[in-house]
Amino acid sequence: MPAPAVELDRVTKRFAGHLAVDALSLQVPPGTIFGLLGPNGAGKSTTIRMLMHIHVPDEGTIRLFGEDGKTGRDQSARIGYLPEERGLYPKMRVLDVLIFLAQMKGVDRAKARTLALQWLDRLGLADWRMRRVNELSKGMQQKVQVISTLLHEPDLLVLDEPFSGLDPVNAQVLKDTVLDLRKKGKTILLSTHIMEQAEQLCDAVCIIARGRKLVDGPLSEVKRTHGGRHVHVAFDGASGDAERLFADPRLVTKKESTGQYAELELAAGADAQDILKGLVSSGARLAKFELAEPSLNKIFVDLVGPEAATAAAHPEVARA
Amino acid sequence: MHKIFAIIRREFIERVRQRWFWIMALLAPLLFAGIIGYQILLAGGGKLKNIVVVDATGAGLGTRLAEQFAKGNTFRATAIPLTPGVLDSLAGVVERKQLDGFVILPATLAEDGKAEYRASNVSSLNAMDALESSLNRLVVLARLEAAGVDPHVVDRAQIRVTVATKKLVGGKATEESSGSSFLLAYMMAILLFITILTYGVNVMSSVLEEKTNRVVEVLVSSVKPFQLLFGKVIGVGAVSLFQFVIWGISGRFLLSQRAAIMGRMGATATQSGFSLPNVPVETLIVFLAFFVGGFLLYSAMFAAVGAMSSNEQEARQVQQPVVYLLMISYLSILGLTNDPNSTLSTVLSMFPFTSPIAMPVRWAAGNLSAVDVVISWAILAGCILAVTWVASRIYRVGILMTGKRPNPKELLRWIRTA
Repeated sequence: MPAPAVELDRVTKRFAGHLAVDALSLQVPPGTIFGLLGPNGAGKSTTIRMLMHIHVPDEGTIRLFGEDGKTGRDQSARIGYLPEERGLYPKMRVLDVLIFLAQMKGVDRAKARTLALQWLDRLGLADWRMRRVNELSKGMQQKVQVISTLLHEPDLLVLDEPFSGLDPVNAQVLKDTVLDLRKKGKTILLSTHIMEQAEQLCDAVCIIARGRKLVDGPLSEVKRTHGGRHVHVAFDGASGDAERLFADPRLVTKKESTGQYAELELAAGADAQDILKGLVSSGARLAKFELAEPSLNKIFVDLVGPEAATAAAHPEVARA
Repeated sequence: MHKIFAIIRREFIERVRQRWFWIMALLAPLLFAGIIGYQILLAGGGKLKNIVVVDATGAGLGTRLAEQFAKGNTFRATAIPLTPGVLDSLAGVVERKQLDGFVILPATLAEDGKAEYRASNVSSLNAMDALESSLNRLVVLARLEAAGVDPHVVDRAQIRVTVATKKLVGGKATEESSGSSFLLAYMMAILLFITILTYGVNVMSSVLEEKTNRVVEVLVSSVKPFQLLFGKVIGVGAVSLFQFVIWGISGRFLLSQRAAIMGRMGATATQSGFSLPNVPVETLIVFLAFFVGGFLLYSAMFAAVGAMSSNEQEARQVQQPVVYLLMISYLSILGLTNDPNSTLSTVLSMFPFTSPIAMPVRWAAGNLSAVDVVISWAILAGCILAVTWVASRIYRVGILMTGKRPNPKELLRWIRTA
């Protein structure tokens, strides 16, 4: 089995006495899209900055590409990093910014230039290459920033809240790019608090809150172990005996019903088929009866809910 | 190395591409010529004054004074005798600005030596000096003649002593006058002050720009903060040296035209005591050595200021102490040039925060041994190392911080733990 692209072993980071990341361990398998999920202030950005060696962990070790004793900065040529707070040099020309940032990743000027022109062309910005960054629209600047993250063809992409502030078109461009990169065998680690996106993209996730890991693993496994079993029912007119069946604690532990639509969580040992039989025999007309996986959003809210409500409000942490 | 070079290159190219760089580069020499010209005009006492000499002595002193004035170029005078009402009508003429003023020579002048000058503007010290010394000479002459001394003897006795100043360099007299030494020292001080300040602040804004744009996060994930700071300082420093090259070329051009320029200003070198100086190679070396030292020292401090601040306004406040530190030596220019060997001058030229300006000024104004210069530079170099060490630690922590500005206690912690 190949070494994990990213491996954290009991990594801890404190800021001015406050615990930002608490003994966090996780592994990102190579060639996957890995989601680091958590509410605001959970420690996602701090974790990512430690990967990039912007912050140094107080305890624990970080290994990238299975290499011991090499920091994110040492291996920066293999990593593309999109920070949460975006920014470019506003007065520089687009092409010059891209070449400069690629040089920071160790690409030589001539090659950086060729690659930058290819990317600008690909994302429809070829005509803007000699313009200053601050003459571009926000969406275009975001594209330039994305290019700067990918230009040096990194093996690992670290994207901190990549979709925040992106318009739908650019978000789609980024999604397609990320999926395309995975196809090429690259590893992508992204943080987000928008679960729908994580659910669409990620192969594996790690949910953290207040610096601590709550759950991690492949998405399907997380869903299986943490969601319980769910049934979605939609009626087409008559609902028969539904009300009595859904209220039966031997069958259903939780329900959310809006008359014509219901989401049920099955009780332990209950069989969904019994509910289906009961509904049909009582004359209900069904538009849909689905054995559903819980949404990642539901798992997240269930796990994080109580924690998120008391999320640390330490001023330095959210920013530092 | 490759990355540092890219950083240096970016700082240099982006700055030199800006319009203000070329405006500074081309305008500054003209501005400078203007400042110097203005000083020459001030020193020369301004334009020729037309006055009337009202003579009540009856000994023809008025006419002789007017003749004296005709030889100089401060006054042009007409002598008239004192008649009733003449003073009032002259006052009216001065009021209408048809006359700059008038001198009254009372009948008792030879005895008590008291005369009077009435004019709309009596603030020109130079003009008063010229008037007093001319009158003095005439009155002394008149008194001696009255005592029966042969006028020819008096004339011979009155041949003035002039002291020609020749600066000794390496035991040899040069043609450099004290006036041009002063001017050179003064120009160098202004140049050093302006460029160290301008380019120090440039480093500060560059740090601040990356911090507020958050580009810095991407940068420090690829290069060490110290490499980034180093590249930035060298890049900006290279721009400043490039600026000097441009100024040097245009300065040479101005020098080659100096006769014409001074002529335009209605001044001759001998009369004003000023001439545009030649710059000896040694002086140029001292100047550049201390400029580089001063720039490194102050840009490190300015970089720390930039890293501590979150925006321009905040930086402007935090930079005050650094600017004041630099201003100490600027404000001491006159003291330094008047007495380059006083205790104050010596201290200022050895203290590393003032020596970048004080030492070149002392060097140009007086005649220092190379040993003094080397000692001063060594102290400066040691200080640069210490300050850079502290500044780079503040920089390392500061560039990633936003929000609250650190208090001194937090700063100390940054320096210790970074």
